[in-house]
Amino acid sequence: MSNEQTSILILDDEPIVSKRLKPSLEKKGYEVETFTRGADALQRVRERSFDIVVTDLKMEGVDGMQFLTEVKEKYPKTEVIVITGFATMATAKESFNKGVFDFLAKPFKLGEIAEVIAKAEAKIKNS
Amino acid sequence: MTNFLHRIGQIFQKKDQESVPFKILFTDFKKSLELNNQILDLIAAANDKLSGDYIFDEQYIQTTCRKLADLVRELIVTINHLTGQKYPDLYNIFHHIEENIEAVLKGDILYSIDDYTLAYTSISRRIVDAVGGKNAHVAEIGSQLGLRIPQGFAITTAAFSAFWQQNNLAEIVSATTEQWQQKIITVNDAAQKIQQAINNSALPAKLEREIIEAAEEVSKEQEETTPRFAVRSSALGEDDVRSFAGQYHTSLNIPIKKMPEAYKEVVASLYNPEAMEYRLLQDFRPNEIMMAVACQLMIQAKTSGVMYSYDPVQPETETMIINSAWGLGEPIVSGKIPTDHFVLDRQPPHDIHEVQIVHKIEKMVIKGDEGIILEPVEELHGSESSLKEPQLQELAEIGLQLEKYFKKPQDIEFAIDQQDNIVVLQSRQLGLQQEITPRACDLTELVDKYPILLRGKGHAAMGGIAAGPVWVLENDGDLSDFPMGAILVARHASPQLARVIHKAGGIITDIGSTTGHLATVLREFRIPALFNTEKATSLLKSGQEITIDTECLTIYEGIVKELNYYSFHEEAIEEMYEYRLLRRVLKRIEPLNLLDPKDENFSPQGCQSYHDLTRFIHEKAVETIINLNFYHAHNRDTQAGQLVWDYPLDLILIDVGGGIETGPEKGIKPEQIRSVPMQALLRGMSYPGIWDMSPSKVDFSSFMSSLTRTSATNNNPEEIGRNLAVVSAEYTNINFRLGYHFTVIDTYISDSMLDNHIYFRFSGGVTDTTRRSRRVRLLDEILSYYDFLCEIHGDTVVARLKRMNKRSMLQRLFLLGLLVGFTRQLDVKMINDSKITIFFEQIKNIMEENNEQ
Repeated sequence: MSNEQTSILILDDEPIVSKRLKPSLEKKGYEVETFTRGADALQRVRERSFDIVVTDLKMEGVDGMQFLTEVKEKYPKTEVIVITGFATMATAKESFNKGVFDFLAKPFKLGEIAEVIAKAEAKIKNS
Repeated sequence: MTNFLHRIGQIFQKKDQESVPFKILFTDFKKSLELNNQILDLIAAANDKLSGDYIFDEQYIQTTCRKLADLVRELIVTINHLTGQKYPDLYNIFHHIEENIEAVLKGDILYSIDDYTLAYTSISRRIVDAVGGKNAHVAEIGSQLGLRIPQGFAITTAAFSAFWQQNNLAEIVSATTEQWQQKIITVNDAAQKIQQAINNSALPAKLEREIIEAAEEVSKEQEETTPRFAVRSSALGEDDVRSFAGQYHTSLNIPIKKMPEAYKEVVASLYNPEAMEYRLLQDFRPNEIMMAVACQLMIQAKTSGVMYSYDPVQPETETMIINSAWGLGEPIVSGKIPTDHFVLDRQPPHDIHEVQIVHKIEKMVIKGDEGIILEPVEELHGSESSLKEPQLQELAEIGLQLEKYFKKPQDIEFAIDQQDNIVVLQSRQLGLQQEITPRACDLTELVDKYPILLRGKGHAAMGGIAAGPVWVLENDGDLSDFPMGAILVARHASPQLARVIHKAGGIITDIGSTTGHLATVLREFRIPALFNTEKATSLLKSGQEITIDTECLTIYEGIVKELNYYSFHEEAIEEMYEYRLLRRVLKRIEPLNLLDPKDENFSPQGCQSYHDLTRFIHEKAVETIINLNFYHAHNRDTQAGQLVWDYPLDLILIDVGGGIETGPEKGIKPEQIRSVPMQALLRGMSYPGIWDMSPSKVDFSSFMSSLTRTSATNNNPEEIGRNLAVVSAEYTNINFRLGYHFTVIDTYISDSMLDNHIYFRFSGGVTDTTRRSRRVRLLDEILSYYDFLCEIHGDTVVARLKRMNKRSMLQRLFLLGLLVGFTRQLDVKMINDSKITIFFEQIKNIMEENNEQ
């Protein structure tokens, strides 16, 4: 897969997250799809796999945990990065046993998430 | 909280029961300090989010606001506990600010007053949400700076809301906007539909009456027998970082009876296609779209022009730019007529670096009783300079004055009236070019590779490099076909071009002033632009591929691949709603209005932001501790006195146990101090020679005196603004206010390494931000070098150090003493980056010498 573009799915109900992450990641050469609704994102992962999934945990009307559980069940090789508000960080960490690759507390810097994504990408390529 | 509080038990010697009262008092005091620090850290962290490096969402903004509210509320409880409920008013004031913040979070735009019209004499920036930035700035320029402005009044956002509500305009606007965004109708159709609805709507009778009354009143005051007004937009956000420069309508030379109609016309221009597209790009929410209007008595200008207090493209040249022409200013700012161009030194006597007098064919003048008209310039004056040298000098002074007042580089519109007075029509923040991109002309080999089509012609309106196909705008051509990424070539730098700016790679015009509206907008989008080339439209053909390097005033034939790397520009974070929301809540959180404790407004009623409340409470907490222990000496368990030493630092020392040896006199001499950390700090502060480092002629004593004595002649014992040190044998807590700097040090040093800690906080300053940031960098470098853990937020440095042995800790307190002593001077002296290294080396040398002792 080393010659292929790494694909990333982003799910966050706050549009600003996708709006800012997408162009920044595309500039780095990733293939990026973004969703603000959990149902749409679920639909999409049933259609195709992504190398990396970036998701919030606590969203209105969406259970991020359920989403990432389904992603991991269907595609064990997909690396999941959880981004969530500072208040829910503790809960987020409890879910490490779901096989989440890493966590980031919102707000985060563009550079920070780029770094985590690069690490996840490296892990995928080495496996 | 625990960090700060848990050692209080250790600090007080448990010799008798009477130590309890001060212990409780001091516990409150320390709690207030800890809350103070947490609040300031949280504000600073929120401010950092505006830098563009972060991704944050609405939830973050809400959480931060609520966390801050909790802390500020707790702080108010604490100060009231400390002072025996002396400041109950703070609750109401806090509640008011909190309510406003909650309303802003819900998406409301707050305007603080209900009047429909307000005379300029009663307007200030405090009510900017009611009158818009343009009105607020002009009014203050008149009232605060005493400069000549056009007299007039504002029609407020409250009036706008009333007009909107009476005619259900919000519904029409939202339905039409929806259709446009779903691409059912075009932007032109949508604009037309909304504008028609506005024009067909009746003004509330009360509003119409009040506009006429306000106009009559101003005319009477100014003794104008045939008054005519200029009616201009003053929309919310128009003068902010974002700019709608030139996108709204202005009606000139309007008689009083026609002003209500003119008002409607200006308001309707809120829905120009350009403005609508622009707002879509900037992610505007419906409730953010509001317009106040400026009504100003006409100035029959001989000459009009625009001045930039800094060259925005090359700020490093330290020059100011003035462009002017005969007649009224409208065609100048909209790029319709060529202008004379002057470049002046920013430093008095403002040497003139460059003069370009153009041949002026037309000028805008008032047309009889109503309206304006372009008429030919008399042949005699065509090539005459539209400004005389003394006028240039006077303008330059005004520019600096405005810049100093608004604390930002300024973009100023002015007119010279019939009596040859300079009148300031408006002044707003000038966006300087952010990053200087490398210049193509520095890559010398390019010249051999690519043919040059044009060189040395025109002015850069925005520096940078752009490459792509040319798209020439024919006269009255249709901009809707403009292709993405093309280089727009047009005859005039007209504000209408703003519509396609986001699609353009670059812009070139034959005519147009770098101080015009279009220039402002394209700097915001960072689109490289070259104006005034005289012949670009005839030289370039649509479809032709070119590369422009605007700073070098060069147009190359073909795509210069070597430059492609540089042509990319950053997305603008200002386009995000969340960014604006954060800015809006911070406006009610961050501004510090209470600067001087001597000021009348230094009161609970003067507090307008959480920062103000925090600042007020900190001052009062320090004051309370000093008053109770020094002036009144209620506590038998403490000893207090004023430090007597060679330097007139107004420092009150309070001993809570073994920190000071009792002496025969009232004052405390340095040798009486037994507090180990305090000794080390004072040793640093009074280190011989440290003051000689500064080239400043001001000696330490007079310097410190000017900064630390709130008033030399004021002998009131309960003097405000004292510095305080609470000490014990092993503990010191310091609160210094030197000028506008605040320093807090909290430290405990004993033989038991595990208990040792130093907390250092330094913030504030009066110099410009660049120098302040150098100071912060210097502190960061030095403190980190000496093992402190540093956090930097804006111009605040927080440094912590724990668990080192006594000797090492004391060494570092000595260092803090050195830094506190002379950082205020550093601010003034940090004229360039190399100074950081120089000062760092000097400090290191002192530390090494001190180590050997």
